[in-house]
Amino acid sequence: MMRTDWRDHDWQLIHTIPQSPTLHMALDDVLTHEVGAGRRKPTLRIWEWAAPAVVIGRFQSLRNEVDADAASRHGIEVVRRVSGGGAMFIEPGNTITYSIYAPQSLVKGLSFQEAYAFLDAWVLEALAELGIKAWYQPLNDITSEGGKIAGAAQVHRGGAVLHHVTMAYDIDASKMLDVLRIGREKLSDKGTTSAAKRVDPLRSQTGLPREAVIARMIATFRRLHGLADDHVRADELVQAEALAQTKFSSPAWIADVA
Amino acid sequence: MHGEYKMPGGKLVVIDLEVRDGRLADVHLSGDFFLEPDSALHTINATLEGQPEQATETELTNAVRDAMPPDVMMYGLSPEAIAVAVRRALHREAEA
Repeated sequence: MMRTDWRDHDWQLIHTIPQSPTLHMALDDVLTHEVGAGRRKPTLRIWEWAAPAVVIGRFQSLRNEVDADAASRHGIEVVRRVSGGGAMFIEPGNTITYSIYAPQSLVKGLSFQEAYAFLDAWVLEALAELGIKAWYQPLNDITSEGGKIAGAAQVHRGGAVLHHVTMAYDIDASKMLDVLRIGREKLSDKGTTSAAKRVDPLRSQTGLPREAVIARMIATFRRLHGLADDHVRADELVQAEALAQTKFSSPAWIADVA
Repeated sequence: MHGEYKMPGGKLVVIDLEVRDGRLADVHLSGDFFLEPDSALHTINATLEGQPEQATETELTNAVRDAMPPDVMMYGLSPEAIAVAVRRALHREAEA
């Protein structure tokens, strides 16, 4: 397998109506598989959230990470994703989440650390165009002088790499600390009282509406790598909806690491 | 019993376990690390299960490393970090 570059591929954009947390988990699973099998061109998918969620990493302990009573009280669904990494607290309109589904050839020969930075170089450029000096903080964070902006995770499946990232646009820190246990522990360690001190969201840094930040990101990706508008195929959606209702909604999956 | 270790430049590695008849039991590894394929999590838990309570950090490290198929990928995680978390769970040491 030869190493490929961004421009060796015909990149497709999926940016659609808000979808449920479990459907997002399932779409990542299905679209990674489709790119790996060669049935889908390499794709950038921008997520829109239909409901609040806590998304825990593949290997995180459900009990250790999430206050189930608090999540239920706030009407927040807890889902587990296919990739490792840490918990994300999601409210519609408060985050910008995207996935890159690429052939493994795009990151061939790169260390993990290099692969994370390589797949997000376009985002750092988009942020620079918005006046934010941001950089990669290994292993998997995008950060700035003001604080952390985003966290990334990768997983490799049958010829494809899934690279997905959640960026903080705005944040309800008190609700987040209510729901995420790890947040409380980390904060108590560091002696700080506000999660907002660790995460500096894009809203305060840019002063722009969320949609404008997304439009800038898409424009930057398109200029650097090329990008054609696409949509989830009917057969892909059928597969994803089935997985969302079976695997990703099942207690066996969500509590797989209890 | 519960032990945590954040390896330098790595992620949080958490071990929950019991000790029965001098051996590790109900061992559960968790954390915000990256591990592929994900089935390796169960291999690691199964490898630690039944290890002597007195096993050294080196012995635990070697046991985990020897049990890993060659295609396993760890990022922010290592056999050494897992062994440290196990020893901390057993000693109930304060987390780093």
